[in-house]
Amino acid sequence: MPVEIPKDKWTGKVRTVTLGATAAEGGTRTKSIVVGGDTTMPFMQFEAPTAHTPVIAIEIKSRKPDDWSSLLEETWGSVMSDPAAWAKAAEAAGADMIVLWLSLEDTADDAMRAVKSVLAATGLPLAVYGPGQVDKDNELLVAVSESANGEKLLLGICEDKNYRTIAATSMANGHLITARTAMDVNLAKQLNILISDMGLPLDRVIMDPTTGALGYGMEYGYSVMERLRLAALQGDAMTQLPMMVTPGFETWKTKESKVGVGVPEAWGDWKERAIHWETLTATALLESGASIVVLRHPESLKRVRTAITELMTA
Amino acid sequence: MAEHTVTFTTADGKTATVHAQTGLLLAEAAQNAGIDIGQPCGGQGRCGRCAVQVTAGNVRRRSTLRLSSEALELGYALACQSVVEGDVSIFVPEQEKIERKLTTDRVAAEVSIPAGYDFNWSQTIRRYNVRLNEPSMDDQTDDWSRLQTILRQQHKLESVTCSLQLLRRLGAILRDAKWQVGVVGNLRDKNMLEIIDVLPEMVDEDEPLYAAAIDIGTTTVSFWLVDLMTGKVVSQVAEYNGQISRGEDVISRIIYSSKGTGRDELQKRVTDTINALCATACKRVKSRPAEVIKATIAGNSTMIHLLLGIPAASIRYSPFITACNHPPITTARELGLNFSPDALIDCLPGVASYVGSDITAGVLSSRIDSAEDVTLFIDVGTNGEIVLGNQDWLVTCACSAGPAFEGAGVVHGMRATNGAIEEVWINGDTYEPTTRVIGNSKPKGICGSGLISLIAEMFLTGVLDKAGNVNLTIPTNRVREGEHGGEYVLSWASESETGQDITITRVDVDNLLRAKAAIYAGFSVLAEQVGMTLADVQQMYIGGSFGKYINVEKAVQIGLLPDMPWEKFNFLGNTSIKGAYYTLLNADERERIKDIANRMTYIELSADNTFYDAFTSALFLPHTDMAKFPTVQSAFANQSS
Amino acid sequence: MALSGIQIYKMLPQTNCKECGFPTCLAFAMKLAAKQVELSGCPYVSAESKAKLAESSAPPVRLITLKGIGIDVKAGNEVCLYRHEKTFYNKSGLFVRIKSSQTDIAAQVARADAYKVTYVGIDFTVDGFAVEADDPSKFAEAIKAVRAATKRPLILISSDPAVLSAGAAVLPGETPLLCGATSANWEAMAEVAKTAKAALAISGDSLDELADLTEKIKAKGVEDLVLAPGGKTMGGSLILATQIRRLALKNFRALGYPMLTMPGNAGSPERESLLAAQAITKYAGFVVLDKFSPELMYALLVLRENIYTDPQKPIQVTPGLFDINNPKPESPVLVTTNFSITYFSVANEVEGSGLPARLLVVDADGMSVLTAWAAGKFDAERIAKAVKAFGVEAKTNKKQIVIPGHVAVLSGELEEELPGWEIRVGPREAVDLPAFMKKAL
Repeated sequence: MPVEIPKDKWTGKVRTVTLGATAAEGGTRTKSIVVGGDTTMPFMQFEAPTAHTPVIAIEIKSRKPDDWSSLLEETWGSVMSDPAAWAKAAEAAGADMIVLWLSLEDTADDAMRAVKSVLAATGLPLAVYGPGQVDKDNELLVAVSESANGEKLLLGICEDKNYRTIAATSMANGHLITARTAMDVNLAKQLNILISDMGLPLDRVIMDPTTGALGYGMEYGYSVMERLRLAALQGDAMTQLPMMVTPGFETWKTKESKVGVGVPEAWGDWKERAIHWETLTATALLESGASIVVLRHPESLKRVRTAITELMTA
Repeated sequence: MAEHTVTFTTADGKTATVHAQTGLLLAEAAQNAGIDIGQPCGGQGRCGRCAVQVTAGNVRRRSTLRLSSEALELGYALACQSVVEGDVSIFVPEQEKIERKLTTDRVAAEVSIPAGYDFNWSQTIRRYNVRLNEPSMDDQTDDWSRLQTILRQQHKLESVTCSLQLLRRLGAILRDAKWQVGVVGNLRDKNMLEIIDVLPEMVDEDEPLYAAAIDIGTTTVSFWLVDLMTGKVVSQVAEYNGQISRGEDVISRIIYSSKGTGRDELQKRVTDTINALCATACKRVKSRPAEVIKATIAGNSTMIHLLLGIPAASIRYSPFITACNHPPITTARELGLNFSPDALIDCLPGVASYVGSDITAGVLSSRIDSAEDVTLFIDVGTNGEIVLGNQDWLVTCACSAGPAFEGAGVVHGMRATNGAIEEVWINGDTYEPTTRVIGNSKPKGICGSGLISLIAEMFLTGVLDKAGNVNLTIPTNRVREGEHGGEYVLSWASESETGQDITITRVDVDNLLRAKAAIYAGFSVLAEQVGMTLADVQQMYIGGSFGKYINVEKAVQIGLLPDMPWEKFNFLGNTSIKGAYYTLLNADERERIKDIANRMTYIELSADNTFYDAFTSALFLPHTDMAKFPTVQSAFANQSS
Repeated sequence: MALSGIQIYKMLPQTNCKECGFPTCLAFAMKLAAKQVELSGCPYVSAESKAKLAESSAPPVRLITLKGIGIDVKAGNEVCLYRHEKTFYNKSGLFVRIKSSQTDIAAQVARADAYKVTYVGIDFTVDGFAVEADDPSKFAEAIKAVRAATKRPLILISSDPAVLSAGAAVLPGETPLLCGATSANWEAMAEVAKTAKAALAISGDSLDELADLTEKIKAKGVEDLVLAPGGKTMGGSLILATQIRRLALKNFRALGYPMLTMPGNAGSPERESLLAAQAITKYAGFVVLDKFSPELMYALLVLRENIYTDPQKPIQVTPGLFDINNPKPESPVLVTTNFSITYFSVANEVEGSGLPARLLVVDADGMSVLTAWAAGKFDAERIAKAVKAFGVEAKTNKKQIVIPGHVAVLSGELEEELPGWEIRVGPREAVDLPAFMKKAL
């Protein structure tokens, strides 16, 4: 019995965004990354090939974090005190991209130095995120932005309160920005509109609709991403941005991943559970539309890589 | 417990001293001292209107919200939030008086008598002149039988009833009138008369017979005096609801009514308001309230419960159930109204806790229930009630818009009275505003229409971004960082009546955006629930006092009203009282409103996520989905280029 | 095709008699459209309307119920492709595979059967077991051993109809899932399923083949069918599952059945975890795992709970006491409700200010401050309860809480509920919090 397979016919397309600039493009990266360009719901390759393979980034810090799970400390070891060494180790572990989080204690000089050292240590495209307080973010990111002019860094995180300064410096220095909103389709779209109204071209914006970890609100982010992708494909220009999410950050703060003692026996093996937590969250979000997932553990990276490879081969 | 002495001094020099125990609220102490300190927010510390000055001693301030640090240093305290802890002297400054008189409606809707009105055909009310035989030793029939008999003989009324109260007065009336009286009653059936009043004289056909149509709003009570013989509205009056000083919104009133003697107090406050209105209206036509023999009353469900003295608490709590949607007819005497004691008081039927008879009356008077076209009707007050439908079906919902469009909850907001800025224009190059003020006086504040106009102008000129943030980078000293974030100065202190800068702050803008977003979300969700979109709406009716002042263009620009051709918008004014008027005049209309109440389907917006989604989507200027507002999109583009 | 409330309303009597328990016929019609009531609630609906409405209300994905001993697992009745469109209804059943050749069946089953894990106060367990006849001679015996250790529904796996027939005979009165029919054996399998009153899984290499088989088997009188589409890679499985669900939603009846996936065939435990997770997010009705491991089972059960959460309900945050910017004992305690948007706006303001604080999130049924207050869900009693339940006293040295300015009215009652505590009234809007904290606290 021949079955006619229904194919969705979409009019819209996710924008193509290039991260990182090679020497030819005015930067120092050994390669740049292209994300987006999707014309179907995630991995519906029978309708059209997925334009660009989703990307795995590894999160590192400008200073050794004191609140990370010991599982992460064990696996990364001493490189955690040196962002350059850490970035190198991440590249060796198979990362496509590095996300460097600056710290509250950093001065503008510290921040510039850290960014410079990471840029020197790896040729991968780089995202630089501020510590998350409006004034501090503006101070550090403006300095970084100016000192790494032309690198096509991804600067973040822009939120509705502070988008003006970061968008402006990124516009002036040839970088890109991450626009983050709190798990809501409308808020995501609104921030994109505000940024676009400032004059920053939207092909220099990645949106982070925020996600929770598995068991901690993951499903909200999951559905918001599906809805954003659907809206993009339906032709809503203000949602046609590639999406980046941070399952590593989200899952490693959960009790399931962070601690191994004093938890119910039914939770099983700690390390394997923590890896499942990160991997399953990341994979579900890739299938709901993420172009970039930011992870923390190299074993999760390996497994999510397997998933991406399989999803790309229908 | 320790007892303290509290001494109050008012602005006019009056002093009063009371004893109070530790922990007594200043507001309560003042009440005990016979000093009325208005509490527009219902004693919740929200409005700051009950500020008093502590001149000696000390009080404990639970909340100092709305008091500036300077005011605190001068000893100010909120009477509703401060408790007595020791002997204390209090100065009660002259309060910002709630303006007693409402401005005359500028676009007062002409009321016309419904076509074909005929007292004898349309009414169940009857007025008969009867001449009774004087009793004598030969005719010892009792007074009451005497009246019943003549009514049976002359008017075929087989059954005639009256109240005990009337019976008590009957003998005197008959004798004073020398056995020639007018009988006013209500025909329960073809041959059954319920006597309402016996008039001490016979009355000519063309003598008026008075009744009233009343709309009890949370904020305003409107009263129309109607001559039932001709159907004509002979006088229209309106006044603030006397309950305001005990809470501005229905929830505050419900809470107030649930405590102590609150229910009785609120019941009395609203009947006092009606009695005062009735006296004024009657005076204009040289009549007396005692001549009013019937009233139909529309109002939201809380107002009707409070009028009838029915506990209203269940309205507030999930699952939001009223005690009664179809109240039985009662009498003026029972409610404490000073009409003719047995005057029939007919509270019209409502649909649900948050969709009351003000809305069914609105549907009736706007005739959505017989419209062929899909019609959207909104009645904007403190709550926005929305009805969508046509002759086949009707759905309704209520959304809590808050009082922002009535000028409340906004720092420099005020009602649409003298001194209110009601229209604003901003120069796109200089960012300088031009304003129009009601009464052409110096501005005191901004009313609802002024706020709509102001937000629209700020948005179009780029003073606000689409999220409502004040853009502090534009080159003008009109924008600045204020206590509540960015703000825009609409009038400098030197130009204003109050001697203060009149500003709109980030928080005000947020309040207004939330109010407009709630209303717009209500529209879209209601349509969605029945499988439609706003594009399917063929006509739009706007009711409520709001409707008379609103500038449609600006309201569309801020995304309060949907972007549709202006000819689809119809302004109806107070549709609630019109509905009450029509049902007063016609028994068939009274049946119709019952049918309307029965067939309106209430949709609870808080039941799921759809509303929040629509709400956040609308929480943007004009809307997150710009494609829904094509005319605004082009206006914005023109202004920006 | 699903009808809208208005369309259904037009087929109802429109008398608003209220006998169905709803105030109007339209209210009832809208509930019918949302599939929240049965048409039988209306005593006056005409026969003609009844027939029309029954047709439109037939579920696009057939509901299949597997029955064990007093324990059922359901799959199907789904109505959408993306969960936000409505919700996903029947959670994917998670089954653990046992092979008949195994010697430790009783122990293996008992361990998995006893598995219980608690997530947000709900207990989760494994749903059932799949018994595979890798050694047909021991099949019946293996089923008995499994049945002795669990009451949960079973899936029986063999390509030989005779073997499955013998296996099903061990489970009288139950509804197992037989797995399954292929192009090669479908006629005999249909007979077995019919006799055993069992559900039947069908595998095929293509959708054409699957559709062909379901029609043929249905014609033989077996209607409780389950599709096992296979798929070699994650990408391939994803596409097949999506295509089947899409076709079912377009009322293509031949594929309107729940799906069965076997990630246990994946080759490695890592791949198994990925495939199982994908099966849960992407439409599987039954998932058979090869190996029982608590850490994976927990993750999958939580994933399933998340994906099958009704997205139409307002987003809530879990009530509790939350630290922001590493608070110290003297840092303020700010009270708010558990409506996510309220929580986020407060948390964001405080976080962005850099000031340390604790956020006491009170269970207000997921409503915003004013809405909850209006509905009586955010009152002194509830706040006091949260203060006690979340151990605020132990974490601070001030015995002070800050309530939102919108509910200043509660301060008096709170003083009574929390004797000895200082009740401060904060600003009404979150945006004013940082200034308030700097100035007033």
